[in-house]
Amino acid sequence: MTHDNRNASLLQGMVGLGVVALGLGLAIGAISIPAAAGYAGVGPNFLPWLVSLALVACGAFMLYEVRSGGFRHMDEGPPGEKPYWSGFVWLSAGMMVNAVLITTLGFIFSCAVCFVLAARGLRNSEGQATNGLKTWVRDGITGLLIAAPVYWMFTKFLAINLPGLTQTGWL
Amino acid sequence: MDIWNQLIQGFVTAGTPVNLLWAFVGCALGTAVGVLPGIGPATAVAMLLPITAKVDATASMIFFAGIYYGAMYGGSTTSILLNTPGETATMVTAMEGNKMAKSGRAGAALATSAIGSFVAGTIATVLVTLFAPVVAEFAVKLGPPEYFMLMLLAFTTVSAVLGQSTLRGLTALFVGLALGLVGLDQITGQARYTGGVPELLDGIEIVLVAVGLFAVAEAMHAVLFEGKVVESENRMSRVSMTREDWRRSIPAWLRGTFIGAPFGCIPAGGTEIPTFLSYAAEKKLAKGPNLAEFGTKGAIEGVAGPEAANNATVTAALIPLLTLGIPVSNTTAILLGAFQNYGIQPGPQLFSSSSALVWALIASLYIGNVMLLVLNLPLVGFWVKLLKVPKPQLYAGILIFATVGAYGMRQSAFDLFLLYGIGLLGLVMRRFNFPTAPVVVGMILGPLAEAQLRNAISIGEGSPMVFLQRPMSLTLLIVVISILVLPRAVKWWNTRSSGAKAA
Repeated sequence: MTHDNRNASLLQGMVGLGVVALGLGLAIGAISIPAAAGYAGVGPNFLPWLVSLALVACGAFMLYEVRSGGFRHMDEGPPGEKPYWSGFVWLSAGMMVNAVLITTLGFIFSCAVCFVLAARGLRNSEGQATNGLKTWVRDGITGLLIAAPVYWMFTKFLAINLPGLTQTGWL
Repeated sequence: MDIWNQLIQGFVTAGTPVNLLWAFVGCALGTAVGVLPGIGPATAVAMLLPITAKVDATASMIFFAGIYYGAMYGGSTTSILLNTPGETATMVTAMEGNKMAKSGRAGAALATSAIGSFVAGTIATVLVTLFAPVVAEFAVKLGPPEYFMLMLLAFTTVSAVLGQSTLRGLTALFVGLALGLVGLDQITGQARYTGGVPELLDGIEIVLVAVGLFAVAEAMHAVLFEGKVVESENRMSRVSMTREDWRRSIPAWLRGTFIGAPFGCIPAGGTEIPTFLSYAAEKKLAKGPNLAEFGTKGAIEGVAGPEAANNATVTAALIPLLTLGIPVSNTTAILLGAFQNYGIQPGPQLFSSSSALVWALIASLYIGNVMLLVLNLPLVGFWVKLLKVPKPQLYAGILIFATVGAYGMRQSAFDLFLLYGIGLLGLVMRRFNFPTAPVVVGMILGPLAEAQLRNAISIGEGSPMVFLQRPMSLTLLIVVISILVLPRAVKWWNTRSSGAKAA
């Protein structure tokens, strides 16, 4: 078995275990749901139990597949040899910052920050250098140019509440 | 005739300037999301679901239908011009379309796919017009046991038949059902899996799941794995067809339509099977030099047929959605979610209770097809420019729209964290080849199926035998079991008999 294969089956094993764990977690939650079936014969806890058992069974079967040669009928793996984690961290940071700041900074600025961080990760993953101030500024402006019209369209035209920095509905 | 009166009434509603504008914006937006890689009709409709809070039902359904339709037209442009395999629906188009584009016939391929989409879309809309009311009339007679079995059939086909692995399909389905469980139980009002988080009492928004699974997961996958993928674009040529191209395309369009439409009607979903069948049929029927073009220079029938089949399936899929309330694809599942936001439950009663809405929607399909033909033939050059949007800005921009969809629905920053979490789930699923449609269909249809199951069993006075006592539900049960068992039995039989021969 090559190193890559071992790595792949380790990851697949983790997915199988994750599915089993999800099933068990749902089962623990199902214990506290009352059976109160009434006339129906099946109560609100029936489907939760069914889903938990099915997930445990699916996960167990996956683990069996991993042990006997890996998941069946897989597409070829992604073209990049190694996942590019640092780009992923930038993108995740963008989304997290957005979630934290959206109510204080308002939609437009918060989304622009998210855009800048995510774009940086994606640019790096393509091998572009992003050290200069120029890229930051350019991405910042692009982010604002996308976020602002979107904000106006939704708040002014479609009357959907999105958080703003001010109460004017324009910023 | 009654149908025609109602259809004309539908045209009157759909033909108001405001509704025409919604249809046009929907078609244009749909074409754009179809052309842009990384975002499809399901994502686009999901991101825009918050508009259901303000825009009236007819206008927004017309708008969503435009997106649904437009994306089919736009998707083929990308698959013909870009040398990267796109989504499954257009994969078959890409096989021959790409070859044609490489040998300098991109224009003819684009033309045959746009006109083919129009022909198939229009014929299929006629079928919807004629058959949907008939199916609805029949469906009124179905009771909870039959409904439950129909939903079970949809679950089975979506998870077990489509996709490469039944195991992963079923896992995805149960994950979807689990997501659908969160919140208050419909019948008893019992809270389930809310973990004391008040935001979860209302359940998990379908917008979050769809946008997280499709858009966020796509961006994550792109940054992790696709940085080094080099895309090349084929050269455009004049969008026109020769007399010979027409002669070869027309029969292929019609065959594709008649292969595709039945697949849309049954709750089995997926455009993979009909498009591949149409491709196989065209290849089988081709002779001489035309046959030699398959896989070499690119045969026009190989684009025309599958493209028509694709559109016919997608359009006909509205029949089970509107008459039975059963979605069989990501996008139809989200359309069902849109109806639910208005408190409308698609099903046999829809044609009587919301007949104005339904007929306006159907009329808008005819109008949308004409708009799309115009948008995609003379204006194709404009859409092609969208392919030049650089990936980093494209995906980062998609995240902004994802924020609108996720936040706009409930105005809660909590949902943005949840969105990220579901994005991670989608990333794992994408990485390990889990299909996403069963998650979305399971999540939306799960609570409905549960209610039908419980109603059915109360009809049977607590006995599950009720499913076996009614002929229709028994038949459906047998169909479901054979879908699961037959392919395996045949395989087992084949290996056994070939083993016996070898021995």
